[in-house]
Amino acid sequence: MNSDPITIHSWPRAILHLDADAFFASCEQAIHPELKGRPVITGKERGIVAAASYEAKAMGIKRGVRLSDVKKICPDAVILPSDYETYSLFSLRMFSIIRRFTPDVEEYSIDEAFADLTGLRRHFHGSYDLIAQQMQDTVEKELGITVSIGVSLSKVLAKIGSKHRKPRGITMIPGREIHRYLGDLEIGSVWGIGPNTAAFLRKFGITTALDFAQKNEAFVTKHLSKPYIEIWHELNGRSIYPVIKESKSSYQSISKAKTFTPPSKEESFVFAQLSRNLENACIKARRYGLAATRLVIFLRRQDFADSGAELKLTCPSAHPSDLFGPLREGFENIYRPNTLYRQTGVVLAGLVAETKVQYTFFDDTAKIEKMSKVYDAVDMLSEKFGKYTVQHAASLQTNTQSQHEGERGDTPQRKQELFKGENKRQRLGLPMLDVDV
Amino acid sequence: MPEDMNEDRLKSRIREISLFYHQKGRMPSFSEIGEITGLRSKNAVSKLVDRLEQQRIIARDDKGRLIPRALTAPLRILGAVEAGFPSPAEEELADTLSLDDLLIDNPDATFMLRVSGDSMSEAGILPGDMVIVDRGQTAKSGDIVIAEVDGQWTMKYLRKRGESITLVAANPKYSPIKPKNELKIAGIVTAVVRKYK
Repeated sequence: MNSDPITIHSWPRAILHLDADAFFASCEQAIHPELKGRPVITGKERGIVAAASYEAKAMGIKRGVRLSDVKKICPDAVILPSDYETYSLFSLRMFSIIRRFTPDVEEYSIDEAFADLTGLRRHFHGSYDLIAQQMQDTVEKELGITVSIGVSLSKVLAKIGSKHRKPRGITMIPGREIHRYLGDLEIGSVWGIGPNTAAFLRKFGITTALDFAQKNEAFVTKHLSKPYIEIWHELNGRSIYPVIKESKSSYQSISKAKTFTPPSKEESFVFAQLSRNLENACIKARRYGLAATRLVIFLRRQDFADSGAELKLTCPSAHPSDLFGPLREGFENIYRPNTLYRQTGVVLAGLVAETKVQYTFFDDTAKIEKMSKVYDAVDMLSEKFGKYTVQHAASLQTNTQSQHEGERGDTPQRKQELFKGENKRQRLGLPMLDVDV
Repeated sequence: MPEDMNEDRLKSRIREISLFYHQKGRMPSFSEIGEITGLRSKNAVSKLVDRLEQQRIIARDDKGRLIPRALTAPLRILGAVEAGFPSPAEEELADTLSLDDLLIDNPDATFMLRVSGDSMSEAGILPGDMVIVDRGQTAKSGDIVIAEVDGQWTMKYLRKRGESITLVAANPKYSPIKPKNELKIAGIVTAVVRKYK
């Protein structure tokens, strides 16, 4: 195998990928300092591990393991309910800190970001390595969580870097070093290459990312489609994927799913759960001015088997009142009596801009106008008094029956210990440190 | 003719448009520009608009409607001098602080903490109060800090004398602490919030 450098240019571009280490568990350790150094697990309300701290990972605990098994593997583990409000605050702050270094930041997910550092060396009087170092230090000092960073010539390579050394790693992959990192990397571990493509490539003797990168353009264009040709360019240090600055303002689909414990076989309760997910998804769609053309619903049974249905909507909408008909229809198709369900979910798919919705001759536009005024009012009331101030009766049972019964402490501490003036739905937008002083 | 328009006349026309924009909160239409500038023909208005567009004072959207560009900043000063006082809401309130700005210096590094003990009661921090904790600042002598001393969390005044560090309570009931092994400062207290009603 040829092991010449892929390119001799060190930094034609400098793309950074930042990945928080065991993000949810780290947030918990940051606000509960007494948990630092201990195995911490979040996801108590779901019955499975949502995130495990590095201390817990060291004992063999992974995402998705059932909590009953966790207690066997690691009896000392601290198991906490997820506190998404706090995690979201940490996430926003993390992005805000990255923006102090460069305006070109892409919020890729709650705990990952890309940033374009190209051209910033002079401004910071130092190398890209130094900038990454400062970023990592600032996040750790101000938020109390650690992150891993990769910097390279493209997004795909930067992501390989951030995974290379974790936790609290910094991996710089300049052009002339790319081949050293791709040689040991299994082709299936490359961002964007799924198990099917990996299997296909192996038929040509491509087992590592380096094998793939070293294929010539003729091979790549003959056998692969555009997304994989782009990945091939990115692996060769030619940046194709831009760092997308805008905070997410468009979605292809919006999904909302929620688990409840104990599982339920009560039809009206399971439907209420579904209805609440629909309301929640519609709120998000309206916030981004989107309307759905397809509705997907799914029910997850106690044994983790899913059943689902997809429904086409006659007219794009983000108003639950329009969607309840199809929702009911789909639900009745897949719901089986005397079956225990643990989770329901709703996906609004085929989203289009609300302003581009075209009404047909048969649509009652006056009624549609009227409903959109009603939902404008609902959204305004939610903003003022908290989410679900006005809600659909179909979702009511989610209020009267709690989401998670049984064991105490399934609600995050932040939602239980309110400051005067805070309420069940609205709290101050600051993470709360939990220490006795 | 607009081509011969001297600088003063142009300035006064920009002023009129700016005044309209600030009073009404929207850009004037072409016919309204005619009215306020005294230009009678549509053609003259259109030439004025072209000229302002060239100078990047205003712009047009894709439907041809006008958008202010440099109309706001430089002309607000002119407005103060010659067109009376601008509205108080805009000028006077632009530089006020919200309670958030006042209490929080570094929003990314600020946490809150509910006080349970009475060790700082003499400093006006009582059990049940909320303190604002900044992790981004470096603690100086005299700051109230949240610190871990030999495995125990506490809120105290930080006293530094040369190499020696002491944590001092505001309540005389508690004696000063000198860290034996380890001192970790989690943040400094920048404010206390107590809500009565």
